[in-house]
Amino acid sequence: MSAVMEATAPPVATDEKRRGRAAVLALARFEARELLLQIPVALTLVFYVGYTLYGLLFPEDGMDAYPALQDVDRATQSGPSVLLGIALLVCVNRAALRSRRRGTDRHFDVLVMEPWRRTVAHALSVVPYAVGTALVVLGAFTWQALRPGAVGHGSVAELAVAPLFVLFCGVLGLLIARLFPAVFAAPVLVILLFAVSVFVSASTGDAEWSRWLSPIVSENSNETLPSDLIGRPAAWHALYLVGLVLLFVTGAVFAGHGGRRTWPVKAALAGTLVLTLTGAVGQGQGVSPELTAAREKASTHPEKDQTCVRHGRSEYCAFPEWTVRTGTWAGVVDRVQNLAGGSAAEQPLVVRQRVEARYGLDGDGTIESSTTPHQVTVGTRWGGNRIPEFASAVASALVAGDEAKGGELCDGRVVTVMWLAVGGASDPLSDFRHVRLDDSTSGSAIVLSPTSPLSMSAGQTDVVREVLSSRPRAEVTSAVKSHWDELTAPGVKTADVARVLGVEAPKEADDCVGE
Amino acid sequence: MGAVRGVSGALVGAVARTVPWRAVGAGAVVGLLVVGLPRMLSGEPDPWLALNLLRGAALVFALGLAFLLDDPARELTTPVTTPRRLRTSLRVALVAPVAALWWTAALALVPEEARPPLGAITLEAAATVTLALAAAALAVRLTDEPEPGPSVAAAVLTTACLTPLLLPFHWDLFVPVDDPRWDAAHQRWAGVLAGAVLVWAACGPEPLRRRRVLRRDRPAGALGRPGA
Repeated sequence: MSAVMEATAPPVATDEKRRGRAAVLALARFEARELLLQIPVALTLVFYVGYTLYGLLFPEDGMDAYPALQDVDRATQSGPSVLLGIALLVCVNRAALRSRRRGTDRHFDVLVMEPWRRTVAHALSVVPYAVGTALVVLGAFTWQALRPGAVGHGSVAELAVAPLFVLFCGVLGLLIARLFPAVFAAPVLVILLFAVSVFVSASTGDAEWSRWLSPIVSENSNETLPSDLIGRPAAWHALYLVGLVLLFVTGAVFAGHGGRRTWPVKAALAGTLVLTLTGAVGQGQGVSPELTAAREKASTHPEKDQTCVRHGRSEYCAFPEWTVRTGTWAGVVDRVQNLAGGSAAEQPLVVRQRVEARYGLDGDGTIESSTTPHQVTVGTRWGGNRIPEFASAVASALVAGDEAKGGELCDGRVVTVMWLAVGGASDPLSDFRHVRLDDSTSGSAIVLSPTSPLSMSAGQTDVVREVLSSRPRAEVTSAVKSHWDELTAPGVKTADVARVLGVEAPKEADDCVGE
Repeated sequence: MGAVRGVSGALVGAVARTVPWRAVGAGAVVGLLVVGLPRMLSGEPDPWLALNLLRGAALVFALGLAFLLDDPARELTTPVTTPRRLRTSLRVALVAPVAALWWTAALALVPEEARPPLGAITLEAAATVTLALAAAALAVRLTDEPEPGPSVAAAVLTTACLTPLLLPFHWDLFVPVDDPRWDAAHQRWAGVLAGAVLVWAACGPEPLRRRRVLRRDRPAGALGRPGA
C-alpha cells in the first residue's frame, strides 16, 4: 500500500503545481483584460500609439529624415509611454485593492489559491503592456533605422528602458497596494514620488549617481555625438531597472496581508536588492578617464578617428558612423561650387566633420572656425536648416579662403557668399530665410553656419533678397562667373556688387552690424 | 425652520463622520510636503519651481478630494428624505475650511520672493479642486457605484498628465509667470472653474429615474465580478 502511495505521490504534487501555475496565468490574463477596459489605460495606450505614429508619419523638421540612431533609441523613452506607466500604476493598484473595496477578501481566504499567487498574477497582468510598449519602441526604431538618411548605432539597453519603465510602474502600483492598502494612496504617492525625485536631483546638484536613480534619465543637450562618445551607462541602468522591477514584485509577494514570508521569498528579496544595488553602483560611476580622453581626442584631433572619402575634386573626412553621408555632403558642395567662378570653381576642398564632445551630453559646445585654408566644417546633424548652414560655410571658405576669415566678412562679399550658398537651392528664398537666425528676409541678421556665424547688414539683405526673387538664375550665375574677381575682392562695396548683379544698390553704405 | 435646523444639526454630525477624512488628509499632507521640499535646500528659491510645485500640491489635494463623495452606504442613503444635493453640499462645506486653511499654509511655505501672484495661483488651485469635485459628482450621477473615488482620482490624474501635452499653444493653461499669455491663461482658468461649478450643480440632484447607460449589471447579493 505504502509503495503504491509513494509511487503516485510525485505526479500529484507536480499536477497541483501545474494547476497552481495555470490558475495564476488565467488570473493574469483576466486582470490584463480588465486593465485594458480601464479608461485611463485605454486612453493613454491609444494616445501613446497615436502620438508615436504621428511623429513618424508627419516629421516636424527636415532633420527627421536624417536620424542618428544613437539619439533615436533614447528618444523612445521620454514620450507618452510615461503616461501609460502612470495610468498602469494607478489602475493596477486599484485592481489589486478591488477585493478589499468590494469586501471579498474573506471569500478569497477559503479558496485554494493563496493570496501571494494573486499578487503574482497582478504583476504578470502588466507584462502584456510592457510587451506592447516594446513593440511600439521597436517599430518606431526600425522605422527610423530604415530611413535612407539614417546613421549610427542604437543601443538595446536604451531601447529596453521604455518597456521596463511600464513594467516598473505597474509593479510599483502593486507594491503600494500591498504596503498601504488604501485606495487613495497610489495617486497621491505618484505626485509625492515625482516631487521627491526632483528634490533629490536638486539637493545633490545633479550628481551622476542621483541623476541615474530616476527610471528615465534625459539629457540637456541636443548634440549628436558618435555613439562611443555618449557615455551613458545604459546597460547598468537597464540592470538597475530589472532589479527594481523584481524587487518590487518580491516585495509585494512578501508584504501585506497574506504575504508569503518563507525563506525562498526572503532570499529572493535579498537577491533582487543586491541586483538593484549593483545596477545603481554600476551606473553611478561617472565618466571614465578613457572616455574623457576619447572625447578630447575627437574634439581636438578628429582626423585621428576619421576616415576620408574622395568625391569628385574634394575630400570628405567623417567619423566612421557618418561615412555613408559623405555623398550627400558632396552634392551640396558641388551645388555651391557650380555657381562659383575663377579658381574657386575648381578649388579642391577638405570637408571635415567636427564635433564638440568634451562636455558629453551635459551641454552644447560651439565649434571653433577652422583656420586651415579650404577646409570646411560639417556637424553631426543634417537635414532641414543644417543644409543651407553647411552651404554657407562652403561658400564662405570658397570666397574668403578659410572659414575663420569667412566669419569676419563684412563687405560686399557677403552678398556673393549668400548667393553661392542658396542660389542653387530648389527654393532659394526659403533657404535664405531659414539660414538666418530670425527667419527674416529684411533687416540685419546673423547667418548660421556649423561654426562661427556670419553677419549681414540690412543693405546686404536687401540685395540678396532682390537677386533671389527678381533676377533669373541663369543671368545671375553668368554675371557672377564673369565678374568673379571683382565680386570676391576684399573691400568690394555692396553697392558695386548690386550693380554687377543687376539690382538696385542699397541706400545706406556698408557695412557690418554693430560697426 | 427650527425643525429643519434640528435635522441639519443631526445631519452635520452624520455627514462629518462619512467624509473620507483620511483621503483628504493624505492629499493635504502630501501637498504640503511637495511645496515644502525646496525649503530643505539652501540656495535661491526658484519662482518657476515654486509655481509648478504649488500646481502639483493643488493637484494632490484635488486627488484627495476626488474621494469626497464616496459613500459606502449609498444604497441606504439614496432613499432618505434629505436631498442628495444638500448632503453633498454639506460635505463640501465641511471640507471648505480645511481646504482654505491648507491652501494658506501651502502658500505660506513658499518663500515670499518666489511666490507667484496669489490671486492667479489661487484661481488655478480652485479650478483644479472644483474640477475633481465635478468629476466625482459626475461619477456619482452617472453610475450606481457607491465609491467611485479611485476611478475619479485616476481620471483626474490622467487628465492632469495629458492636458499640458494635448492643449494647443493658444489654449495653454500651464504658463510661467513672466509669459505674455499669463492673463489670457487665467481667463481660461476662470472658464474651467465656471464649467466645473456648472457640472457640479447639474449633477447635484438624485435622478428621478435611472438610465441604464453606464450602469453595471450587478444582481442583488452578488458582490463582485469573477476576479473580485
